[in-house]
Amino acid sequence: MNEDAELLQHIRAGATDEFAELVRRHQARVFGVLHRYERDPQRVEDLAQETFLKAWRALDSFDSRAPFEHWLVRIAVRTALDHLRREKRRRNEIALPDLGEDVLDWLRSPDEKDEPAARDAAEVLHQALRQLSPADRVVITMQELEGCRVKEIAATLGVSGVAVRVRAVRARARLRHILESLARAETP
Amino acid sequence: MDERKLKQLFAAARRAPAPAPAGDFAAQVLGAIHREPPALTARALSIFESLNAWFPRLALTAAAVIVLCVAADCGLTAAGLPGLGDSAAQAASQCLFDPEEL
Repeated sequence: MNEDAELLQHIRAGATDEFAELVRRHQARVFGVLHRYERDPQRVEDLAQETFLKAWRALDSFDSRAPFEHWLVRIAVRTALDHLRREKRRRNEIALPDLGEDVLDWLRSPDEKDEPAARDAAEVLHQALRQLSPADRVVITMQELEGCRVKEIAATLGVSGVAVRVRAVRARARLRHILESLARAETP
Repeated sequence: MDERKLKQLFAAARRAPAPAPAGDFAAQVLGAIHREPPALTARALSIFESLNAWFPRLALTAAAVIVLCVAADCGLTAAGLPGLGDSAAQAASQCLFDPEEL
């Protein structure tokens, strides 16, 4: 029996406070996943708390066949998806922050060999991904940034693998188009 | 933007560090759990929920017993021995009543 399973057994037997140890074990992973969808650290923390609360409420439905972390990450992605849907309703009220000149130069350059700085890349990608639909964004983020397989994405979104593949191709094309527009729009 | 650049952008973004959880984050979660309504933390199952949870196991056990009895009966009949039905009738006549009288 792995350490998580042992801890879960204690928690189910009534040792509620031991859930804190489970949180400590997996909080970095949950923050990492949620940060792909939300850049504001305070909101990331709120979403992480929401994720762990949902996990607590649904603990009886976890059957221990898959690792606890996989189950938790799935809850985190669904929480992020709900958050993106809520955000979409007030999308137009938020102004785009200034993107670094370096990353914009990199975007404009047709044959840049070096990769942009990690923070700049994450920021520009975040701005572009915000313009996709929440479900398209989840597909691209899980596939390209989390390295998830189609099967995992399909299970998280509750759709077929074919639907995920179709969505991924369409979202990728749209993302490329958005990034090109972003680079053009910022040109002085 | 070509595919190579898009891959480079994803690769760079993957390396961006996530914010670190606050030192007392686990305690905050635990505090929120303790504030949850008790109905969510401990709820007794109704008799129907319990039966519903047990139904697949009970049904499978019953099916397994039936299959075993049928197989045993067939085996005994093939071997020329009295079948389970005969044994049951014999036991009933000895202990309870004579089935012929019914």
